[in-house]
Amino acid sequence: MKVLIVEDEKTLAYEMEDFLKKAFYVCDLAHNIKDGLEKMEMNSYDFILLDLGLPDGDGLTLLPKAKKHNPDAAYIILTARGNLEDRITGLDLGADDYLAKPFSLLELQSRMQAIARRKFNVKEELLPLGDFKLDLQKRLVLFGDNQIELSRKEFDLLSYLFLHNNRVLTRMQLSEHIWGTFADDDYDSNYIDAHIKNIRKKLNTWAPADFIETVRGVGYRIKK
Amino acid sequence: MKLSSKLILFITSSKLVVVLLFIVSLPFLVDGIVSEYTNYSLRRQQDKVIQIVQKKGIEHYLQGEDSYGSYTMLKEEYIALEPAIKGLPIDTIKTAQRVVEQDTLNYRILMHTFNFQQKPYLLEIGKTISSINQYNKPLQRIALYVLMGLIAITLLFDLLFTRILIRPLGKIIKSKLTNRKFPFKDRFIPVETSTYDFKYLDESLILLMEQINEAFEKEREFTANASHELMTPISILQNKMENLIGDEQLSDSVVIRIVEMMKTLDRLKKISNSLLLISRIENEQFVKSDTLKPAELLNEVVEEISHRLEEKELHIKLKLNPNLFLNGVNRDLLFQLFYNLINNAIKYNVNKGSIIITDQLSNSGYLIAIADTGIGIAAEEQAFIFDRFRKTNLNKNVGYGLGLSIVKSICLYHGITIKVNSEVNVGSTFSLLFPAGIYTESM
Repeated sequence: MKVLIVEDEKTLAYEMEDFLKKAFYVCDLAHNIKDGLEKMEMNSYDFILLDLGLPDGDGLTLLPKAKKHNPDAAYIILTARGNLEDRITGLDLGADDYLAKPFSLLELQSRMQAIARRKFNVKEELLPLGDFKLDLQKRLVLFGDNQIELSRKEFDLLSYLFLHNNRVLTRMQLSEHIWGTFADDDYDSNYIDAHIKNIRKKLNTWAPADFIETVRGVGYRIKK
Repeated sequence: MKLSSKLILFITSSKLVVVLLFIVSLPFLVDGIVSEYTNYSLRRQQDKVIQIVQKKGIEHYLQGEDSYGSYTMLKEEYIALEPAIKGLPIDTIKTAQRVVEQDTLNYRILMHTFNFQQKPYLLEIGKTISSINQYNKPLQRIALYVLMGLIAITLLFDLLFTRILIRPLGKIIKSKLTNRKFPFKDRFIPVETSTYDFKYLDESLILLMEQINEAFEKEREFTANASHELMTPISILQNKMENLIGDEQLSDSVVIRIVEMMKTLDRLKKISNSLLLISRIENEQFVKSDTLKPAELLNEVVEEISHRLEEKELHIKLKLNPNLFLNGVNRDLLFQLFYNLINNAIKYNVNKGSIIITDQLSNSGYLIAIADTGIGIAAEEQAFIFDRFRKTNLNKNVGYGLGLSIVKSICLYHGITIKVNSEVNVGSTFSLLFPAGIYTESM
């Protein structure tokens, strides 16, 4: 998938590029509106990540023009302004999602994948996870034909770890994904551990869930 | 005291003083006027007598006698004419006693000598004092009545005039000061008045309000810019660390250190976010157009937070009216409000404690109370718990003192009155009183 990152903060753009490359996205960078429009004219993208505060104008003004060049692209607005009007205007202008800075790159990728599923109708087959299979669309974990009963949050956790497999996710990153802004600041709490314990218990009744690794002092990882 | 009342009080009392002064001085005034008048009429009578004497001769009075005397029936007046001693001219008016037919009476007496055919005569005209004074009382009374009447009329005019005069002030107060909700959204309309002072006041107020609006706009802009400026570096750090931690060549100890750094950064992020949230609420950047059932909202909050309840093995009980709706509220903010309160109720609770959430409809409004069996808040600290960054309980689990500030600003934004009742080691109860108009009950 091809991604255009329109972000004037170069360091930030490089970090996003770095992260998305590892997730096998092809990235182009633009640091202002003019640059962004030029790149859009020449290429077609699947994703356009659009910062709002650009040196030569408001990213929101870019959106309608961009849609002309890349009508099929998915647009994600990235902004530090974080006010409601921007969000509403952005979505009204046809953006697919909105992420308030500072956001986690893990979250960005997760959103991009959700949009891909929804918008590009990517029919993912059942994804293998150990002896289990994951159905992200229907939000199911299957063992053969058997459905494993996971709570909403447990499924969220498992699929997030699955999406970022081979990467250690910290408890903080996991709780931010599950609870969003309501994630508490008592980082030493063991809510995530409790959830992981439950997931393991439920999976272990069918087959060993040893693909979920505990990384001491850091968090968890799904090893593939 | 209102200006109009003060003015009226002043006018009335100054008039009262005038009336009192007049009443006190009235007898003297009347006396003065009456004696002036008596003197004048005595002189007139004197002129008349002398005229008659000139015309008809002295015999007209004396008729051969030595002297002439005449008095009215009740001895109120008398005239006497007699020869006078030569070379001793008299011309006085004085008060003296005279004996008339064995009655000693007080008279005002005019004594005047004049010559007729080279002979001096003395003319005496007298009026009893009592007859002079007989009009004093009615005169005083009439004067008093007239005065009272005049004062009443002027007072009426004064009241009317002061009311008209200070009416622009009332308009200024009404249009500029009362019922003005910050920020001032509608345009400022100058109050029409010909009084310079009011015009000046009105113009100054308009100027002031415009300045406040300008400052407010600047602050809004600042908040937006500051958030941008603050969020971008946090963003960069966070993403850098996220990429760094994904590097498989790092040793475990380095990874753990990066995790610690990420926690610290997350704290910074949360503080900035909370401050921004408060400033956005204060800037009224949230739309209040949702309708919801508090019973349902609280259930959602409890579900969201259930993992924390389980950890402490807390017992939670919700007893809320299922038919009650809140209107014109912001759902996200109310969610946050209840989340923060219940979160605190959990955080400061004892293990296996309980949280009881109840509601109550009364004349004063709709009340939701969240009671916990936690460590409580000392009485002297209760006043400060809503202040920003004020840590009350120096417990290691305590957050950064913004949770209740957010609660407070959400309450203020919705017109909810929040109160806390707490006893150390017994528990705290936060009660939220929703004002009339924000809720409806359906059957």
